[in-house]
Amino acid sequence: MNGTIVKNELIFDFASGILGPAKSLLASTYLQLNSNASKIGNTFEKMLGENLMDNENIYPKNLKYSDCINGVNTKSASNLNDPVTSFFGNLNNLNWKQVYKGFREYTASIDDYDELKLIKMDPGVSVPLHSHGGKEYILVLEGSFCDEYGEYSKGDIQINDQNIKHTPIASNKTGCVCLSITEKEVIFFGRYGSFLNLFTFIKSFFKQK
Amino acid sequence: MKRVQRDRDEMAFSEIFDFFAPKINAYFIQNRIKIESSEELTQEVLSAVWVKSNLYDSKKSAFSTWIYTIARNKKIDFFRKNSKINFVEEDIREFLYQDREIDLIEESEAKKQIERINNELDEQQKIIIKMNFFENKSHKKIADELEIPLGTVKSRIRQILTKMQEFIK
Repeated sequence: MNGTIVKNELIFDFASGILGPAKSLLASTYLQLNSNASKIGNTFEKMLGENLMDNENIYPKNLKYSDCINGVNTKSASNLNDPVTSFFGNLNNLNWKQVYKGFREYTASIDDYDELKLIKMDPGVSVPLHSHGGKEYILVLEGSFCDEYGEYSKGDIQINDQNIKHTPIASNKTGCVCLSITEKEVIFFGRYGSFLNLFTFIKSFFKQK
Repeated sequence: MKRVQRDRDEMAFSEIFDFFAPKINAYFIQNRIKIESSEELTQEVLSAVWVKSNLYDSKKSAFSTWIYTIARNKKIDFFRKNSKINFVEEDIREFLYQDREIDLIEESEAKKQIERINNELDEQQKIIIKMNFFENKSHKKIADELEIPLGTVKSRIRQILTKMQEFIK
């Protein structure tokens, strides 16, 4: 899977306004943390703006300019915090759930088909080899991790599809905090694989209720 | 736009209205919003232009980009309210699409980049960009309308995405 293309696709879809709430949160945080992604987003919004300039005309039948001057439209939601803090609040105050030693997660309650999670890994902690049923997006918010494909630090995003098996390890110095989206459940391999698969199965069973 | 910002000049605003209202209205209709709602949304967009004109900064973005983002945000909000998914909690998307302040590129720089990208893209790729990202048509629908195979649409979009990366440094 070509990483650059899927990253750009995420940015383009964000600029087009077609992402669900979970991916929108991930993408807007990505644009905030990563200046290259932000530039691509800007450029693409400009391209879409030019499409608007050149767009065909379908004249509104019942609308005059004076309606817009006198119309009521003053709603403005100003938001000074970064998206993650606005949504989750202070990360230290969250009710983190320990999955195993050194690996904690917090699942957001968000109405979407995608699952949105925060993941916190202590320095040097690793995740057993696993692959994914659907796409997985991991955005590094703090610290860094590495796996078979490279190193990822603050503002880097990794997008994995079902063909990828990997073993992420959190940096020895800093550990890491990541925002993650999974489209479907993760499939684990290796020694603890079957146990973890059973665990995610049971979890998904309860989630349906 | 300066006359709107500085003098609250209603005539200047009416010129903006005359140019953009039919294009914005068309944008909503292209995004499969019915005509009654599209006119309402067009009014909301242009009202926002009038009310929030002081927030527009010509150094940071082209006027068309600014209007586009307002229209897009109205579209997101519209689809959220009319979603088939039953959103229990307040949808967060709206605030996520607020103006970004960080690492915006200068308008002049963005212009050059787009010129370079546009030179690289052929006519069909430009049409595909418009259909896919502006009108949000599915790959299948694009393939049907352009009478090309679905695989070709997908690979052409992939080429566009790769080119964008090459030209933005």
